[in-house]
Amino acid sequence: MNMFASCMITALILLTLPIIMTSTKFYKDKLYPYYVKTATSYAFMISMIPAMMFIYSGQEMVISNWHWMTIQTMKLSMSFKLDYFSMIFVPVALFVTWSIMEFSMWYMHSDPYINRFFKYLLMFLITMMILVTANNMFQLFIGWEGVGIMSFLLIGWWYGRTDANTAALQAILYNRIGDVGFIMAMAWFLLYLNAWDLQQIFMSTNDNLNLPLLGLLLAATGKSAQFGLHPWLPSAMEGPTPVSALLHSSTMVVAGVFLLIRFHPLMEQNLTIQTLTLCLGAVTTLFTAICALTQNDIKKIVAFSTSSQLGLMIVTIGINQPYLAFLHICTHAFFKAMLFMCSGSVIHSLNDEQDIRKMGGLFKALPFTTTSLIIGSLALTGMPFLTGFYSKDLIIETANTSNTNAWALLITLVATSMTAAYSTRILFFALLGQPRFNPMISINENNPHLINSIKRLLLGSVFAGYIISHSITPTTVPQMTMPHHLKMTALAVTILGFILALELNLTMQGLKLNRSSHHFKFSNLLGYYPTIMHRLTPKMSLSMSQKSASMLLDHIWLESALPKSISFFQMKSSTLISNQKGLIKLYFLSFMITMALSLLILNYHV
Amino acid sequence: MKPPILITILTTVMAGTMIVLLSSHWLLIWIGFEMNMLAVIPILMKKFNPRAMEASTKYFLTQATASMLLMMGVTINLLYSGQWAISKISNPAASTMMTIALTMKLGLSPFHFWVPEVTQGISLLSGMILLTWQKIAPMSVLYQISPSINTNLMMLMALTSVLIGGWGGLNQTQLRKIMAYSSIAHMGWMTAIIIYSPTMMFLNLSLYIFMTLSTFMLFMLSTSTTTLSLSHTWNKVPLIASTILTLMLSLGGLPPLSGFIPKWMIIQELTKNDMIIIPTLMAITALLNLYFYMRLTYSTALTMFPSANNMKMKWQFEHTKKTTLLPPLIIISTMLLPITPMMSILD
Repeated sequence: MNMFASCMITALILLTLPIIMTSTKFYKDKLYPYYVKTATSYAFMISMIPAMMFIYSGQEMVISNWHWMTIQTMKLSMSFKLDYFSMIFVPVALFVTWSIMEFSMWYMHSDPYINRFFKYLLMFLITMMILVTANNMFQLFIGWEGVGIMSFLLIGWWYGRTDANTAALQAILYNRIGDVGFIMAMAWFLLYLNAWDLQQIFMSTNDNLNLPLLGLLLAATGKSAQFGLHPWLPSAMEGPTPVSALLHSSTMVVAGVFLLIRFHPLMEQNLTIQTLTLCLGAVTTLFTAICALTQNDIKKIVAFSTSSQLGLMIVTIGINQPYLAFLHICTHAFFKAMLFMCSGSVIHSLNDEQDIRKMGGLFKALPFTTTSLIIGSLALTGMPFLTGFYSKDLIIETANTSNTNAWALLITLVATSMTAAYSTRILFFALLGQPRFNPMISINENNPHLINSIKRLLLGSVFAGYIISHSITPTTVPQMTMPHHLKMTALAVTILGFILALELNLTMQGLKLNRSSHHFKFSNLLGYYPTIMHRLTPKMSLSMSQKSASMLLDHIWLESALPKSISFFQMKSSTLISNQKGLIKLYFLSFMITMALSLLILNYHV
Repeated sequence: MKPPILITILTTVMAGTMIVLLSSHWLLIWIGFEMNMLAVIPILMKKFNPRAMEASTKYFLTQATASMLLMMGVTINLLYSGQWAISKISNPAASTMMTIALTMKLGLSPFHFWVPEVTQGISLLSGMILLTWQKIAPMSVLYQISPSINTNLMMLMALTSVLIGGWGGLNQTQLRKIMAYSSIAHMGWMTAIIIYSPTMMFLNLSLYIFMTLSTFMLFMLSTSTTTLSLSHTWNKVPLIASTILTLMLSLGGLPPLSGFIPKWMIIQELTKNDMIIIPTLMAITALLNLYFYMRLTYSTALTMFPSANNMKMKWQFEHTKKTTLLPPLIIISTMLLPITPMMSILD
């Protein structure tokens, strides 16, 4: 009897304790955030024990606790699947959350409802844990919906702001569309396989799994902001920076990718779905990278960067490499959360200024933030031997050497170079050059909460890739031999992107932008996608409904078609017939004509 | 008019119709028609105004033409059958001519143009005689030649009469014109059924005569010739206001009043002969008739139309007009529906 199960359950319960304490006086205490942060850090440390056990001896476990209900022939119970994916993800997520909570103790310091904020963050974390450790689709769905709801509450944290409310609603709506796919998959599994347990589903010998996999793909599109259901992610930047760091970079948005990774035994066989995911991910990567190139809000650039990396993860799943995608999830969490925290530090220091056109010259003023921004951007772009390198470079290599769609591959490479371009843009505008902000601001980054949290993630961004990739069990055989130019592709395009962006930025510094070109407008307005979908489609459907219901039904069918037309006809006929002028000669003429006609035509015996 | 002359004229009118009804020689029928027409003209001209003169002239012209046409038909029949007796007319030309002549006398479409103008130009009593008594003679001749009437011609004329009667009456406020168009429509109903079941024609004719007599008598009671003056009846004789309600609805053919009997029977007879569309059309067009009757009842009986203050005292006076047989007529015109099963004795 080892401590695997007990440690895991302890970690999970430890997380729920602060929530349970909500109804007590403890909740109103000033130290509640500190308590929550400490609980998270203890949960992280405890969850490292099962993770170590897994890495050392490959021990996996399924804990099926409580029989919930039996619906006719299907048994639903609360079961936790502690396998490779959840065992690695839980410590990573807890580590990142710990750092973010410490960061938000500094960032949200002046907020009067900071206790509620921490409670929401914690509830989000718990639902994310439920999602990740779920062994049946029902529990997964609970976690799925839970993260959606917490995302809504947290995006609309500053609910006095209209934009925040609409952004929260947008998130819910787009996620809902994805949920349709999820429920379709659940229904299919229920009908054809009579099971919602992952083990039973993976045993199925059904040939045509297109429909449920399509449903799962739709769910991933919704949750992970793939092209088609992507606008909510940039809009979600209306929430506070810790929310953006936790939800919309590391944990929640990867839930969709995680779902696809969970179902990889099913996706291995189905080439159609693989192609679909590949193309979808490629389009997402490229599109969001293009949009990120001309944004002016620092958080939006990082949000689009997240979206682009999510597209990359989906591409990885599309080339049938779920373990690589998972590795990228874990490494991406570190540096993306850190990027968000650094932008939060910059924003707070400049008195809530988010526009990069009004930043600059922070290189000397915020040295620590600058360092972590640069390291984070380098990790993001896949600088050799930083964190991102271990996952991203592997992905590009595998894509280059696999038997796959050349167009998707090309697009992914283009997007990789654009990653470098917009990272350069952030660094250039925020850190370099002369300051463009109000000089009467006191810029200070001396708070230990800020420093410690970013420091932790910094260490993670530098070392975590190495540590994780050398600790996990090898799953697929990596391609050992490839031509020189293929091996160097990722690095080459990244360097190309860096140099190009740097040159362009330096050149354009002194010039004035006269008129925006079409490409600029396309990129700046997010490819016109939100404009069309959020305005044109509702307008068309509303006007069509107004026309059909009011005009067509009420005015025309019920009013004009029969009643008015009949009355009009009767009035016209009556005036026609009663309009006699009294000209006897004409009357007799008509009599004669009638008589002649009838004698000619009707001259037969009846 | 001086009493002896009036008696002579009325006797001639009645004698003419009787001769038409009772004779079996075509010449005598023509003689009867001529007597009738010539004697009715002075009745039409009771008032010496240009309107009445014009009306009687129009009437004379039309009826004379119709009698001539009838004679023509009789002659052709004589040529082809060699005898003067009324029997089945073998020659289609003769039967067509006779039909046209008789329908011209009745005021059926497309020979309806004279009916509203003549009816409008004469007094109410003359109008009553014109619309009721004058229909008996042509109808009886049609009854006697009914086996040989061309179906297509008759149905066409009947259908168009019903339509014209319906549409024409919609645009009227003068009561006499309304009754004229109503007579056109009713003639249409009657001639529609005459080919298939002449008995029903008589049923319709008799009920129509009763209803029209009652209506005209009620109009004469308050001497109202326009809708406006009719709507003041509630001031003069309130009882008549309610009577007009039931009478108008009966004219429109609304069950459970007796005006429904002929319509019902006619539709039944037509459907027995496999005609579906024509009775449907006729029934739908009867709604137009009903509408303008309803308009009359609305202003007369259903609302208390605004009137000058001294008009409101008129009910206190006794009315001196003669209302012979008005109560039985009204009862026959409105309450005859339960007796319908007994109509089978007419067969």
